[in-house]
Amino acid sequence: MKKYLILILLILSLSLTASACSGRRLSASGWPGLTTDQETAYLAAAQHVYAVNLNNGTLRWKYPSEADNDATFFGAPGLTDDGQLIVTSYDSNVYSLDPDTGNENWSYTEAEDRFISGSLVTSQGIFTGSADHNLYALDFQGNQLWPPFETQEQIWALPNTTEDCDCIYLASMDHHLYVIDIDDGSLRWQTEDLGGPIVSKPSLSENNTVFVSTFANEILAIGPEDHDVLWRFETKDWAWASPVPDGDQVYASDLSGTFYALNQETGELEWQIQPGGRIVSAPLITEEKIYFGTDEGAFILTSKDGTIQRNQTLEGKLYTSPVHAGDLILIAPTDNESLLIAYGEDGVKRWDFSPSE
Amino acid sequence: MWDAFITFMINILLYIYNLVGQNFGLAIILFTILVRLLMYPLTARQVKSSKAMQDLQKSKKWQDIQEKYKDDKEKLAQKQMEVYQEMGISPFGSCLPLLLQFPIIIGLYQAIIRTLAVTPVQLVNLSKHINDGAQLIPINSQFLWMELSEPERLQIFGLGVPILAILVVITSYIQTKMVSTSAPGDDGGQGAQMSKAMSLYMPFFMGYLALTFASGLALYFIATNLTTIAQYVILGQGDFKNLIPNFSSS
Repeated sequence: MKKYLILILLILSLSLTASACSGRRLSASGWPGLTTDQETAYLAAAQHVYAVNLNNGTLRWKYPSEADNDATFFGAPGLTDDGQLIVTSYDSNVYSLDPDTGNENWSYTEAEDRFISGSLVTSQGIFTGSADHNLYALDFQGNQLWPPFETQEQIWALPNTTEDCDCIYLASMDHHLYVIDIDDGSLRWQTEDLGGPIVSKPSLSENNTVFVSTFANEILAIGPEDHDVLWRFETKDWAWASPVPDGDQVYASDLSGTFYALNQETGELEWQIQPGGRIVSAPLITEEKIYFGTDEGAFILTSKDGTIQRNQTLEGKLYTSPVHAGDLILIAPTDNESLLIAYGEDGVKRWDFSPSE
Repeated sequence: MWDAFITFMINILLYIYNLVGQNFGLAIILFTILVRLLMYPLTARQVKSSKAMQDLQKSKKWQDIQEKYKDDKEKLAQKQMEVYQEMGISPFGSCLPLLLQFPIIIGLYQAIIRTLAVTPVQLVNLSKHINDGAQLIPINSQFLWMELSEPERLQIFGLGVPILAILVVITSYIQTKMVSTSAPGDDGGQGAQMSKAMSLYMPFFMGYLALTFASGLALYFIATNLTTIAQYVILGQGDFKNLIPNFSSS
């Protein structure tokens, strides 16, 4: 009899463990992507993209109106000059929506795997990397500008550009940074193997020095002239979030939860803090302050000398970078009842948005 | 404690993955076989104890005690304990090794599923467990025709056939039939009925999991079933006659 009880226990445990881990397409689990214009916050959060009124946190529209299990949205939406909202999905499609109504304009369906990040929108087109290893370049009608640019591994990082380079900076999980001609998709140059996968957007300083974070526990600076590595800074754990250059510093973080201020020229550590929890998102840098979140729900405000001025603990995890919208600081927590919370610069909550609304 | 165990399992899995040329399907199969081999002493002890218990329960002495003290449960238990001691059999001898194997099997399963991290949150969670394996990220989850992070279907004449799920049902059926042979109480009683039901439903339940969850899990089920069958054959407990119900009962 005991044997049968154990067998029953085994079946129950197996089913519970299986359902908990949810192997079905291994669940589309990302964190919300957030973009704003002057009046609206656009939030890509799992099965819907929400347009939320910045004045009071009310819902303007959501897309799609009925959830589709295959189409989940996590990349930060992009806004085009001609009035389109571009969203990418785990169903391998790119969608153009009307930002006023949420109606679909067109969709691009040629990619073969998920879009993890959002899309880079420039005056020349829409650029987005896919887990199928390709960077896709689209015009504003959803047609390919040039054939997909292929890397050796999945692309999770949002591409970047500068005003004067007519190029795309693309980081891949194949350990390389590529610089691609924006007009024809040809490779201008690429780095050597940088030592580890890169999953976040490469950042650029005013003089076009490129900063990247890698899973090889490093922050790297790559020179604009000869494209060599200028310096490497060793972090305590995988460096996930994009480094953010600002003034003479570059601010970076790692999964140990350490936040670093480095000298932009030399890569030397100027200060570091470790408020608790892991950091996967880039900080929001304002004129005098730095905001960032951790996966233990800590929402940190520091001055630029590393003095913590505020440490609020919220329910859930803060995987998404805070966004500045007018006089509001927006955060999009994961595993929180509210999908979006707006704080004033004084730290007082102004409103929050829950999907049930 | 459990997290440390999972970390240990994940790092062994990643070591094997790297050793076999970053082929995750092969790594799952080898890792499963390795863990099962390491558990072989426990399995052997469990089978041995189980066999001894079955033999005892078929013996005349045991049957006599059951008959004699059928109306006095307390006395029956006392006499049974005496027989156990006399024969040198522990009544928990077959349960304990099985219970010890249980967390290892769950750990093995969790290590496989957690390593198949294909989304940012899964990868953040996996990072907690990886010591020096950042170079191996992202895991190559392609194996033969399968994407191991997704349910498997092989396109045959335009039809998606779940080959792995079918193999899981077949191997689970063979395994449960072989393992549950002549169990104590195979006398048409409640235990025997439960055993029969289990050997019928278990393969379909496993097949359902294989059909709906990541194919990496299905591959693990098949490797586990085949290794268990092989172990029972090696231990002399593999009775293929039981695979055909009529043949077995005749």
